[in-house]
Amino acid sequence: MPVKWVLHWQPNQGSTVSSQILNEATQCVESINGVKEGRWKATLNYYKPMLRDQANQAEFPRDFLGISIVDDPSKYYFIIRSLRIVVEADSSIQLIMEKLQSYKSKVALYFEGFQYQLGDFRLRVGKVVPTHSENVRGIVMEVEYLPISSMEKARKVMEEFLEIWHEALSKRSLPGKFVNIELNFGEFGLADNYTPQHTAVRYAIVMAHMIATVQAVRG
Amino acid sequence: MECVVQGIIETQHVEALEILLQGLCGVQRERLRVHELCLKSGPNLGVVSSEVRLLCDLDQPEPTWTVKHVGGAMRGAGADQISVMVRTMVESKVSKNALRLFYSLGYKLDHELLKVGFAFHFQRTAHISISVSSVNKMPKVHAIDEAVPVTPGMQIVDVTAPATPENYNEVAAAVSSFCEYLAPLVHLSKPFISTGVVPTAAAAAASLMSDGGGTAL
Repeated sequence: MPVKWVLHWQPNQGSTVSSQILNEATQCVESINGVKEGRWKATLNYYKPMLRDQANQAEFPRDFLGISIVDDPSKYYFIIRSLRIVVEADSSIQLIMEKLQSYKSKVALYFEGFQYQLGDFRLRVGKVVPTHSENVRGIVMEVEYLPISSMEKARKVMEEFLEIWHEALSKRSLPGKFVNIELNFGEFGLADNYTPQHTAVRYAIVMAHMIATVQAVRG
Repeated sequence: MECVVQGIIETQHVEALEILLQGLCGVQRERLRVHELCLKSGPNLGVVSSEVRLLCDLDQPEPTWTVKHVGGAMRGAGADQISVMVRTMVESKVSKNALRLFYSLGYKLDHELLKVGFAFHFQRTAHISISVSSVNKMPKVHAIDEAVPVTPGMQIVDVTAPATPENYNEVAAAVSSFCEYLAPLVHLSKPFISTGVVPTAAAAAASLMSDGGGTAL
């Protein structure tokens, strides 16, 4: 599949994320001739163990999450970031997890927004919202370069695209920027050839950064 | 959910059963070589203890993995009236590192088996799968090359068919009627209700081996 980067909005110190920034970002995509193709959505669940004795909580992973992504809706991905594990499964695995009654979702988040085509690029810009709420917790942007599936080969063109993007967005003087996180996919057992598992890992890392940012602001 | 029946057959009659199945199903048999790992939740994990199976299909160029959860059997008067077990079953294909995931989540290896044999899959009223396999245990963890039979001279016959709450009666009927064709060689019943080997198996097998197979359904 095509190489994809997942960027997230990092607000400047003292500012917060809002739907206004999402509007500005989507307008910016349209201003550089992005053609709107429709809506997109991904969902993410943080799981916590259901324990009979809470004292042993430390033995279980605290960063276990599952995600369904737009790349392949028939699949579901589990990630334990701290252990560098990513597992691909059929979406029926969610039913198995329910039946096991050993882990339950403690937080569920949606990523939702619009998809655009821009030459050889596909862009998706969307907000991160908890289920049953409209509170924007973050903004993400997927940048996909359709002709190439090798991450190394696509690096240069992705970087060049981001330069153009940052320049276009800078005219709007927004209080923050979209950042890409460099990742060592090899640690997760993933190769240079891009797969949906790479996307799942990217989302897990983006979420970890978003949470860390929120905690830093609060702290 | 799925409908399921099980039986046992002496290894010496397996060849005759294969000939019969070949004739009944009208499809080629598939080889079966599955490493099955049964995992149980650790002592503190889960509202109740839970069990999940990881199946590794070794008969592929690159082994493929499946997570399988088998739930409780349907009970009550309705269930008693049908001769097959109806139970919940959910499967999901997974990437090869699923075992590491489950270990990390607090599951422990309870036991593991190697099932070797063959299977037929065919579609009539229902999608019926029949597997005939010898069940082997391992002297050391994951030592599939050193596996030895659990019941030497005896093989397990499993007949399963996926079903839904809407159609399980029809599927159960299809499985039951199919089992009747196999009755001379193997008696199939609800799992865990062992009915032993069929006394007529030797005679039936001899007859099958001499005429070269059954007639198609």
